[in-house]
Amino acid sequence: MTRVRRPCIALAVLALLGFGGAPASAAPASHTGGTLKLLAKAAGGTLDPQVNYTLEYWQLFQATYDGLLGFTKAGGNAAFVVVPDLAENLPTPTNGGKTWVFKLRKGIKFSNGQPVTVNDVVASFQRIFKVKSPTSGTFYAGIVGAKACLAKPATCTLKGGVIGDAKTNTVTINLVAPDSEFKYRLAVPHASIVPANSPPNDAGTKPLPGTGAYYFASYDPNKQLVMKRNPYFKEWSKAAQPAGYPDEITQSYGLTVEAQITAIENGQADWTLEAPPADRLSEIGTKYASQVHIEPLTAFWYAPMNTNLAPFNNLKARQAVNYAIDRNAAIKIFGGANLATPSCQVLPPGFPGYQPYCPYTKNPGTKWSAPDLAKAKQLVKESGTAGEKVAVVMQDDEVNKAMGVYLQSVLNEIGYKATVKPISANIFFTYAQNTKNKVQINVQQWYQDYPAPSDFLFILFGCESFHPGSDSSINIAGFCDKKINAQMHKALSLGVTNEETANTLWTKIDKMVTDASPMATLFTPKHIDFVSKRVGNFTFSKQFYWLVDQSWVQ
Amino acid sequence: MARFVARRLVSMAFVLFSISVLTFLIFFATPGVDPAARIAGRNADQATLRAVRKDFGLDRPIPVRYALMMKKLFITRDLTSYVNRGAKVIPQVLQAAPVTLSLVIGAAVIWIVFSVAMGLLAAVTRGSPVDATVMILGLIGISMPVFWLGEVVNLITQSRFHNTFLFSWVPPLGYTPLTQSPFGWFKSLLLPWLTLAVLYIGIYARVLRSALVEAQEEDYVRTARAKGLSESRVLLRHALRTSLIVFVSLFGLDFGALVGGGALLTEVVFGLHGIGKLTFDSLQNLDLPVIMATVIYAAFFVVLANAVVDVLYAWLDPRVRRA
Amino acid sequence: MGGALAGEVAAPADGLSVGGGSPWTIARRRLLRNRIAMTMVGVLVVIVALCLSAPLYSEYIAHTHPFRSTLDGTTIVNGKSVPVMHADTSGLGLGVTPIGPTWDPGHYLLGADNQGRDVAARLLYGGRNSLLIGTAAALLTCVAATIIGLLAGFFGGIVDGVLSRLLDVVWAFPVYLLAISLSTVLLTRGFALGPITLQAGSLFLPIFIIGVVYVPYVARPIRGEVLSLRQREFVEAAIGLGASTWRLLWSDILRNVITTVIVFFPLMLAIDMLTESALSFLSIGVQPPNASWGTIILDGQDLLYTRPAVALAPGIAIAITVLALNVLGDGIRDALDPRAKLRGAD
Repeated sequence: MTRVRRPCIALAVLALLGFGGAPASAAPASHTGGTLKLLAKAAGGTLDPQVNYTLEYWQLFQATYDGLLGFTKAGGNAAFVVVPDLAENLPTPTNGGKTWVFKLRKGIKFSNGQPVTVNDVVASFQRIFKVKSPTSGTFYAGIVGAKACLAKPATCTLKGGVIGDAKTNTVTINLVAPDSEFKYRLAVPHASIVPANSPPNDAGTKPLPGTGAYYFASYDPNKQLVMKRNPYFKEWSKAAQPAGYPDEITQSYGLTVEAQITAIENGQADWTLEAPPADRLSEIGTKYASQVHIEPLTAFWYAPMNTNLAPFNNLKARQAVNYAIDRNAAIKIFGGANLATPSCQVLPPGFPGYQPYCPYTKNPGTKWSAPDLAKAKQLVKESGTAGEKVAVVMQDDEVNKAMGVYLQSVLNEIGYKATVKPISANIFFTYAQNTKNKVQINVQQWYQDYPAPSDFLFILFGCESFHPGSDSSINIAGFCDKKINAQMHKALSLGVTNEETANTLWTKIDKMVTDASPMATLFTPKHIDFVSKRVGNFTFSKQFYWLVDQSWVQ
Repeated sequence: MARFVARRLVSMAFVLFSISVLTFLIFFATPGVDPAARIAGRNADQATLRAVRKDFGLDRPIPVRYALMMKKLFITRDLTSYVNRGAKVIPQVLQAAPVTLSLVIGAAVIWIVFSVAMGLLAAVTRGSPVDATVMILGLIGISMPVFWLGEVVNLITQSRFHNTFLFSWVPPLGYTPLTQSPFGWFKSLLLPWLTLAVLYIGIYARVLRSALVEAQEEDYVRTARAKGLSESRVLLRHALRTSLIVFVSLFGLDFGALVGGGALLTEVVFGLHGIGKLTFDSLQNLDLPVIMATVIYAAFFVVLANAVVDVLYAWLDPRVRRA
Repeated sequence: MGGALAGEVAAPADGLSVGGGSPWTIARRRLLRNRIAMTMVGVLVVIVALCLSAPLYSEYIAHTHPFRSTLDGTTIVNGKSVPVMHADTSGLGLGVTPIGPTWDPGHYLLGADNQGRDVAARLLYGGRNSLLIGTAAALLTCVAATIIGLLAGFFGGIVDGVLSRLLDVVWAFPVYLLAISLSTVLLTRGFALGPITLQAGSLFLPIFIIGVVYVPYVARPIRGEVLSLRQREFVEAAIGLGASTWRLLWSDILRNVITTVIVFFPLMLAIDMLTESALSFLSIGVQPPNASWGTIILDGQDLLYTRPAVALAPGIAIAITVLALNVLGDGIRDALDPRAKLRGAD
């Protein structure tokens, strides 16, 4: 089957792309073929698309699984646009925004030859709850019948919530209340459609068949992951699931990040998941500059301060920290001014609802310029918290640790007695969230799940995200302001009907949260991808980063 | 002899049991290590957390959890990882073992040969500049942490001078199985062997030299000399054997620990998927099933090595036999 | 082996004699005569003095705050003012590199680390922590190991069985797991052992952990030697003479085993100083912004490709200290050795 398919795909791809997209001089007639070799320090956990929540595998799921809807596989802001994937079109919800009707495309097959039917779609939605997907209680709790499923996952039927009609080949999804973000939630890997006979628990290391251009051929979490072309794949939508160039994609584990960079420089591998270490940046920025791709990210590095614990239950103390931090110094630790931009607020530049705002600098206004140490020291004195002990908690990798040590130095300078507590990356995230651990200040990063302001403001600073005593309480600052929360709810419901007005309200909320200072924003980072010489057509999607299978190796 | 073996087996079981219990207790006494949230995924809701906890048996009392894990590890042999769900633990350990054995045995051969040579040389030329140089070289080896040395070796051979004739033979980091390509196996392990051996050469050469110098004063050595034997013959046949007691004791400890996964930093730096790397990853991930398996595997070899050394004492120093 | 039982020794009648007296007086005199050993003592004194003078160096000579991050600082090199953290401007302008060694004691003699701090000043401060932890841990190991090795080797039987199994458990123990667990416990709450409360930065912890972990490494060789010594004629002779067990252990067996311990001590010191860095990495012992030679090596790991001096300097410091101690140890062993008179000029 494969041999018959390949020339067709190659021709189709070339016809669609046109020769204008390829470099003019001496380019090979076809770029398809070859093996793309990816590197990562360690495997990313389970290969089950409905459970895994790591960027590492979400990048690979783009090429292997599809949902009813999908994000456009293109570079730049086009990547934020949701397009129909397994569904024929993107419906407008009816019934006051509560009913979504999708017509399933015909003729699509899974990588094991099975055709995709409405039964598979219904079963996949039930499976989200059966495998206890991390977002089952957050993204998909609004589906009718979800509450029963959350209580008793094993017997989940989503009765009345997801209904398939084989005769008309449609799937109807009924929500309890309108959800302006539902289309995004259907486009993330947790809503991938997998065969109905998939095991009702976490697939772990046994990959499930998918509809994407590639399938997972083998997976040894200590050594390597191998993806091969899906023999049953026929491109149905270039925007949602384009055919890929390499015949095989492998991801190998175990090398240290320094070793990975050296391997890419030597041409022994093509790309690494991890950011280049600080002492290799200048080397790759000069000798290998043509192989470096830098992209701004909708993400931010910040230091949440526990608003329920001394000394940061005091507004002045929190503001003092914000005034004292030299964001340029933090950026130096991260790798220099070409890799990050100072920020004081929550929303990152380019995000819907973003308006530049920075009160915590020498000349408050829209841009950060310099720290104001004098004001910071004065605020600490006024707050009455001077001399108190503060412990800075952070992950123990190179950059996070250096950031924490720097914060310690700042806190000591403005009048606290600070210590650092680096924690292993694997426990850190849950450790920082649990109020039982009495974390006063820590170093965090947040990357968007999808392009909605609520994904930053509501998820990180809404009262509903604060669960004292739990390992899963993403509102790490413990910030709960009734007035601001009410505004957030207002913006969420506005977003269903009028996105623009909602965004204006989100801008206001961004200012209010920044003023309340539950966190000290450091900067918005840029993303570096370092690829080997032979990698061509590097395309960066703002949603899922480098489109792995859209680059060629020969 | 049979009684000796039986007694040792019993004490081995005791050691393995204590270590496994201690590991288990330490793991669950650590705050923030509750695997449920990490298994459930980030931003999971409370109901999901509860369900995952029940799935993994994390809501049962500790002795029950311990018994279940031991049963899965030894009886049904289907213990699976917390982090890589569905991945069985025992095959992972078995796959990693040959890599570590290749690394450790090769390094051991190198360090024994070099340290005996250096120790002998230093003892024979005692007090001369040769003695001083040899000892200084050895001590420099001890002062270099293995993770630093490994990274420097990589910096030189993989990065800076990779394209020169000196190091172009160096393969990409990683392990080539012996069955796949013996020459490739050798090339991929040569630098890791040397890096791992450097630390031990320093210690063993120093220890051997000192013991040889001591032995040279002994009666039986003077007797041998008086009998007219040459100095080197005296050293090699008489003094060396009894000087080896300290040497062999250390070797049992070091080799036992290394085979069980003690060379973790060397394996990490050179990208070798051995038991050490497995241990290192499981500690980073706080993956208790794998931690438990690697700890028991390591303890087994430690006890075995020490038992073998105890038997060797009798052979080395005939006077011990009379005990 | 008459020498082993020697009490008072009459002065031998040759030009190299050191006179008569108790074995300890003789040993001391012999040591003082050993020029190489005395030079090593001098080297060690200099190292300790330098480390103790760390505050003086950082305040009056280097004018630096070695525990404060100075990412935005500037310093003077060849009369010009340069930033401590230099942002790369060539190519894509990526990366920020700390200043390298200037060989100017007043301005970043050995360069800066990734927080912009003076490496030379931190090296001196670090020496205090490293020497303290390393020496204390090595002492703990050697003393405990000698006692255990002596008891196990001499008494045999059940005593040996129990002690040997204990050594096996300690050697096979998952120390890294314990360290990770302990550090997390210490983060959330202090660790209380009866009246003693331990904080994460307490140096007692690394000393205790490192000291205990390496006890088998010294105890088993000593046990092996004692097993061998036990059978020797002079011991049987002493028992025949009616010597008590403890006298035997102390004056005969210990005297013969002490040379092995002396050889081990500097080796353990080196190993301990390096192991301490691993514990610091796991947040036990020396905490940022404090320094030890081990933590500076770790800092230097992240700068290996641009500023190798940061990792090299503490490594050289460790090597010099260990070397000096080793040679001194040889000298002490020679001085204590009652058979030295047979060797003549040495």
